[in-house]
Amino acid sequence: MSEATDLAARAGDRDPRVGLRAVAALRRLLEQLESVQVRSAREQGWSWQEIASELGVSRQAVHKKYGRR
Amino acid sequence: MFERFTKDARAVVQDAVGHAEAAGARTVGAEHLLLALLDREGSRASFALAALGAGGQGESVRRALDEARRRAGLSRAEADALAGLGIDVTEIVSRVEEAHGAGAMTGDPEGGARRSRRVGFGRDAKEVLTGSLRAALARRDRHIGDEHLLLALTTRPGVPAEVLADHGVTHESLSRVLGGEGEARAG
Repeated sequence: MSEATDLAARAGDRDPRVGLRAVAALRRLLEQLESVQVRSAREQGWSWQEIASELGVSRQAVHKKYGRR
Repeated sequence: MFERFTKDARAVVQDAVGHAEAAGARTVGAEHLLLALLDREGSRASFALAALGAGGQGESVRRALDEARRRAGLSRAEADALAGLGIDVTEIVSRVEEAHGAGAMTGDPEGGARRSRRVGFGRDAKEVLTGSLRAALARRDRHIGDEHLLLALTTRPGVPAEVLADHGVTHESLSRVLGGEGEARAG
């Protein structure tokens, strides 16, 4: 078992604190990645509808979150 | 609440806006409040920082905040938790910056909407401001000074608290050097 899988197993199975912290961190990272990509798509002239369908969410959801640009 | 801010506390809030603007950030974050606190001279917070040996550590704190930016604004604990899942945050940030420019991942998820030219206060910074009021109440101080902003930074989990702790500044050590002033003493 490599060190990474070992750690992952530990994070997944034993200490809930580590696992939960990883989930929360991942969510924050995800939010940032999404923001970067949406901004970039808008700058390249993508419509909200196009962005929404790539993200698999409704156009309203994306627009509400990132709109007014 | 703001009418109870001392001159130093107001200056910190104002300077934090300057730090955010200088960094090209879209919102004022808790880290900008910390940078502004480090600029103060002759204030209660600066005396407390000096007493804890963190007085001349501005550069080191700045560097630590910089590193945090490269971790996408995640604390080291968060980055470690992700490393535990095999996710290398700095690798992700460096790839995103390659494609989207340096500072693309600044830990500011509201970034997509540039609503106005003036930078507003991010949620984390607002929490520090309300935390400073709580800190003043807990110490039964009538004013809200820059020392309360510093206290609030140490109590809110996140990058600034982590960086401060690395420099010996924790809620506990701060309370010790700030001393009494009607502070609720346990035991």
